[in-house]
Amino acid sequence: MKRPIARPTANANATGTDPALRTPRAFAPTAVELTDSDFDPAPDETLLAPPPRPMGWLGRLAWTSGGVLLSAALGLAADRLIRDLFAANPWLGWLGLGVLAGFLVAVLALAVREVFALRRLLVLDALRRDAALTTLDNDQQRGRHVVDKLVAIYGDRPDQARARQTVTDHLPHLFDGHEIIAMAERSLMAPLDARAKALTAASARRVALVTAVSPRALIDIAFVLYESVRLAGAIAALYGARPGLFGFWRLTGAVLTHLAVTGGLVLTDGLVEQLVGQGLAAKLSARLGEGVVNGLMTVRVGIAAMRVVRPLPFETQPQPVVRDFIPELTKLATDSAKTT
Amino acid sequence: MAQTPTTIVDELGIALANLADTATGAFTPTLRLGVTGLSRAGKTIFITALVHNLLTGGRMPGFAAMAEGRFIGARLAEYPDATVPRFAYEQHLQSLTAKSPVWPEGTRRISQLRIVLKYQSKHWYAGLRGPSTLNLDIVDYPGEWLLDLPLLGLSFAQWSAEALERARRPGSGKEATPFLDLLAAIDPLKDANDPDAERLATAFTDYLRRSREHGALSTLPPGRFLLPGDLEGSPALTFAPLPPPAQSARNASLYAMLEHRFEAYKAQVVRPFFRDHFARLDRQIVLVDTLRALNAGPAAVADLETALTSVIGCFRQGEANPLLRPFARRIDRILFAATKADHVHHSSHDRLEAILNRLVSNASKRARFAGTQTRSIALAGIRATHEGTISEAGQTLNTIIGTPLQGEALDGVTYDGKTEIALFPGDLPERPDSLFEDGNPVALNFLRFAPPQQLERNASGDVMLPHIRFDRAIDYLVGDWLA
Repeated sequence: MKRPIARPTANANATGTDPALRTPRAFAPTAVELTDSDFDPAPDETLLAPPPRPMGWLGRLAWTSGGVLLSAALGLAADRLIRDLFAANPWLGWLGLGVLAGFLVAVLALAVREVFALRRLLVLDALRRDAALTTLDNDQQRGRHVVDKLVAIYGDRPDQARARQTVTDHLPHLFDGHEIIAMAERSLMAPLDARAKALTAASARRVALVTAVSPRALIDIAFVLYESVRLAGAIAALYGARPGLFGFWRLTGAVLTHLAVTGGLVLTDGLVEQLVGQGLAAKLSARLGEGVVNGLMTVRVGIAAMRVVRPLPFETQPQPVVRDFIPELTKLATDSAKTT
Repeated sequence: MAQTPTTIVDELGIALANLADTATGAFTPTLRLGVTGLSRAGKTIFITALVHNLLTGGRMPGFAAMAEGRFIGARLAEYPDATVPRFAYEQHLQSLTAKSPVWPEGTRRISQLRIVLKYQSKHWYAGLRGPSTLNLDIVDYPGEWLLDLPLLGLSFAQWSAEALERARRPGSGKEATPFLDLLAAIDPLKDANDPDAERLATAFTDYLRRSREHGALSTLPPGRFLLPGDLEGSPALTFAPLPPPAQSARNASLYAMLEHRFEAYKAQVVRPFFRDHFARLDRQIVLVDTLRALNAGPAAVADLETALTSVIGCFRQGEANPLLRPFARRIDRILFAATKADHVHHSSHDRLEAILNRLVSNASKRARFAGTQTRSIALAGIRATHEGTISEAGQTLNTIIGTPLQGEALDGVTYDGKTEIALFPGDLPERPDSLFEDGNPVALNFLRFAPPQQLERNASGDVMLPHIRFDRAIDYLVGDWLA
């Protein structure tokens, strides 16, 4: 049996008795060099995607020269055509010139309309941002501004006349920004929401039916695409966006982005219902099950379009979710299963 | 030792009444709204505006049930308690809409009202049973009486000590001197006799009345001394605080008599008032006239805070146990409201709310701890002013435009009650705590304004009462019952 032994470790003395202990002192604040540390750490380099490479001079040269060539070719072709027409018959030449002028004017008008349509989409985006900001900071001025713009956007809608009147009546009596936005949403957005939902439901129903009866998968896909595009356009027009060709391109991009971002969310908020609905329909018939799935796809496009173009964020009104449309789709599926 | 505000018999009665309510409320539930506020806080105006807006479907975009079109209508109904007068809604409305409108007079007695609301619920089963109804019960009463509620927890000795300490404060010296002189001349241990008690009570009442007139002191119980109603001169109202006796008081002494009367006042005046009207509330709105206290200075502000804290502490707040709900009703939402928000510009409403929050912070902390939701808001049941700006010396001042009441004075000018003026009432302090401190650089002066002179009428010819955030207050108080 050994006795207990204690021995000092090597560095015990070094920390215990430090001869250079500093006494407290006070300084004037002006003499201090401020060294506040930044609490927001710099973003991790490895997590950032590399910036897209700008187009090199070679690429730019290629595009520019190609563009110049193409416009020269078009101009030359038009010139040749008119000259040939004049050579054949002066009368024919004048006619050709007139038609060309008409074409140019029409193209110009279309371009102008596109610009306006694009701006309309941008305005709706800005409105939604402003409205969200107003809800947060409760600014009366901005709230009134948003509502004035909204009333102007829907100014040419006969069916919104009463809602517009309500909004302008209430506006002078409200002092809180978020209250103004809530009031505008209740009066102006709620009827539009209902109509957008009805549009979506109708589209989804059509898609489900067509899928169930169509002989080929290609037809389904084509019809789903067609319906989705039509639905997005109809919803955008309903909320006052009136997209043209390029505007529509933008809208499609926004809807797709929204779907990509929130696809998972939409799934989770209606996951159980979706599974139940599909399971039921699939038991009845494989085609019907596919129809329901395609219908749900359309529903999601409709919901995404609503969220993208609605000029006010969803505050007082419930957000549309896939769950709202499930009963209709499954009802359709079971009904048609019974009749077949 | 602090006493409980009710006796066991009271508790039993309350539980049975609640049970009866639950049974009858299975089809038409009853919501008891407690409109709480000290004297001149705006209770009557609030109730009048509430009744009128509900009856005529006023302009209430913030009241969700109405804005969503689910609110069908309302009507006045017979109040179940046949012994209490009805709230004189029509008279109050008439005085507000007369050719030269005046504010309704201060409430001098208790009155009740029941409004039946008809609405369509949002729930999925609502479609099966059609429109639902809800009874909304409201009580109006003199705000002075509310100050009595904290007395229920005090003994005569405790109350006397508090009241005498307040009377001897330097601030209340002038008003309290006659009473204190009389008190010093009377030996509390001598034989009881009525003349002495009456003289003491009269002197005490004079002191209370004068201090209320001079300052905005709000913590001066007993409230029935100021507004006795039909109890004037009865023994239960003939007492005054006495200093604690040097030796134990004989049963026949003056001290014992006054103590006995104090207990009788509690048991027969205050406790029934509390039991019948405040023990079974579901929702509460606490109206606070912040501006009047601000006019009167730091002492009044501190007084107001103390009064609010002690009064609100008397109510039954918190979440009721679901199993016990048929027997026990509790206040599960309290709205603190700074009234007369129309007397400051809307850009100052944030600060007004901050001041209100500071005033009720103790009360609301206690309520939230008990499980009650609270919110605060700056509102005006009836908006008497409109707003504008004035530029002066390169500055833009936010002003309110209205007609000050007759006798209101600012900068040496006394108004005759007919001239309309634009008033810049001064900036409210950014830091609410500064109101409790002496020596504020800016003297605030909020004038009182006459009711709106011209009122709009809606399509069916009913007067529309303009308001500020009143709809949101209603939405918070009853909105979820109409969901």
